[in-house]
Amino acid sequence: MMKIEIHLYGRLRRFTDNPDPGKPSVIKIEVPGGTTINGALEKAGVPTDEVGTNIFLNGRYSSLDRVIDEGGRLGVFPDDMNLLYKWHFDKE
Amino acid sequence: MGKVIRVDMEKLTAKVEDLPKKYVNRGGRWLTDSIVCDEIDPNCHPLGPNNKLVFAPGIVTGTKAPNSGRISVGAKSPLTGGIKEANAGTPFAEQLAPLGYSAIVVEGVPKEKGKYWQLEIDKKGVKLNEAKTGIGEVLSKAYGELFKEHGKHVGIASIGVSGEQQLSAAGICFNDIDGRASRFAGRGGLGAVMGSKGLKYIIVDDKGAKGVEIKDKKLFNEGRQKLAKALMTHDVTKKGGTLNTYGTAALINVMNEAGGLPTRNFREGRFEGAEKVSGEAIKAACEERGGAGLMGHPCHASCIIQCSNVYPYEDGTEHVSCIEYESDWAFGPNCGIDNLDQIAELVHLTNEYGLDTIEMGGTMAVAMEGGLAEFGDGEKAIELMKEIHKGSPLGKILASGAVTTGKTLGVTRVPACKGQNMPAYEPRAVKGIGYVYATSTMGADHTSGYTIAPEILGVGGSADPLDTDKSALARGFMDTTAFLDSTGYCLFIAFAILDISEGFDGMVETVNGVLGTSWTGDDVARIGKEITEMERAFNKAAGFTKHDDRIPEFMKLEKLPPLNETWNVPDSELDKVFK
Repeated sequence: MMKIEIHLYGRLRRFTDNPDPGKPSVIKIEVPGGTTINGALEKAGVPTDEVGTNIFLNGRYSSLDRVIDEGGRLGVFPDDMNLLYKWHFDKE
Repeated sequence: MGKVIRVDMEKLTAKVEDLPKKYVNRGGRWLTDSIVCDEIDPNCHPLGPNNKLVFAPGIVTGTKAPNSGRISVGAKSPLTGGIKEANAGTPFAEQLAPLGYSAIVVEGVPKEKGKYWQLEIDKKGVKLNEAKTGIGEVLSKAYGELFKEHGKHVGIASIGVSGEQQLSAAGICFNDIDGRASRFAGRGGLGAVMGSKGLKYIIVDDKGAKGVEIKDKKLFNEGRQKLAKALMTHDVTKKGGTLNTYGTAALINVMNEAGGLPTRNFREGRFEGAEKVSGEAIKAACEERGGAGLMGHPCHASCIIQCSNVYPYEDGTEHVSCIEYESDWAFGPNCGIDNLDQIAELVHLTNEYGLDTIEMGGTMAVAMEGGLAEFGDGEKAIELMKEIHKGSPLGKILASGAVTTGKTLGVTRVPACKGQNMPAYEPRAVKGIGYVYATSTMGADHTSGYTIAPEILGVGGSADPLDTDKSALARGFMDTTAFLDSTGYCLFIAFAILDISEGFDGMVETVNGVLGTSWTGDDVARIGKEITEMERAFNKAAGFTKHDDRIPEFMKLEKLPPLNETWNVPDSELDKVFK
């Protein structure tokens, strides 16, 4: 199992116990090896249809399909905070 | 035929000439660059009699095209020693163009020191008068008095106390849509050049102006609608979109997650207090405090993106406009400060003294590195900033920018290229922007070629931020940007037009509509290339070589946490950008 911290932004903060945008809104969970970002978000109770296109795993720009091969930090922004328009970006 | 106002500060005369034929169809950065390159000796002293200061509204500025109210300012820079073009969004630009003026050229220096002048422009003509208002004062006070004297409707360009002292971090300040002294052609010390010429204000009154001539109105209107539609469709630029809702400071949290938010003078790429100073936090403060607090504020009348804000004090009264990403970062994460009210005060003072927020935030971080304050000590930073208004030796050092401050304090970690401090993107974490910082004619400048769009934001193509092969990407962005800076459009239209091809076509059509040209996307690239090459030639003649196109050594030596990246791009790759 890997420990990950999911940092959520914008309206996704409501899925954590901190809705205050001035403080980190974090969900700490453990996931088995081979889990994708999508899978981790589902386990954390974050509906992926509200997730936008800025997703970062340990600072690396990532897609929902990326497999989490080590623990660490996932940063996820909602679809109304998109700084992306299309999925035409090669992601890890 | 456009007109040029030529102001001779030695003879104290101002006269109107026809725009030389060879400059027809040029505007904004293309025109300021052309005049700078044709008329200024690249080896002149930037603050001496042979430098000139050139203002030019963009090609479509003053029309109803969306986001078109930019004015370009050019000269030889006292900060970099090379060519400088800085631009601002302001009603001043939208007033100058309809009077038929393509450019203002200010030359010479006055024989009498310690006196200041103001250039007054209206439909009757131009005159140069002695300026007696607001000398040595904060800019908000000066603007208040000028609006009382000349009417609330006029546009104002000015320098603050830092420009009067001819210090290299001084910018040129323009009024915003509500009459604040808050919109800056900030970078490169253009305010010092204006100060050296003894020119304190330019006041423009467009009452009775004929308006900007549009050669093909039908084409212009079609283009305008396409562009507006693209801007109002794109997630970044639409009403209720990211920029409109959270301002440019939406980038604080994004760059922090990407590990590319320069923290404590570029020691780290992630700041533990980022969320306290994020766009979300600014929005929350505006909503909770109410009163003057406002998101979605436009800087000029034709702006439909509206990414500016008005940040309130705790009691709801106005503190400053605006806290945008670069300013927020410069005094916030870069100085280790996580208190928005302290950041607001630092931005406020920087505006009041007529300075560039990026250079001053960078300078403050270098001053902290040099022991003048602890990282994170906002109160001490505010005290240090106030030295500039006092005109103390320390104040003069700080307002000369990060490189001078670093040398004075014996600091080796000075994140500057060609003498200009880096803005809010870490080149070790986002390599393409490092190419731009290193090779731009302007010194470290994100707006020269915003590769962040494809590298982090996924706009306009694809690029892995840590991929080191970015010379073509950097060059392409720098050339396209040079064209956009000539049109008078806000650079932020790039988010929409790089993704939505109809928006790009619309942009080109508005330009063709105004000029009667039939340019295509190829011409955009060709003209952009011509502009950057003209700038390169000026810098070469001023003594710049490939060895000036480099990233500071400490970035090659020090790993940037949390990505633990160094600047690992070989110098030979940087040299490919302009090959």
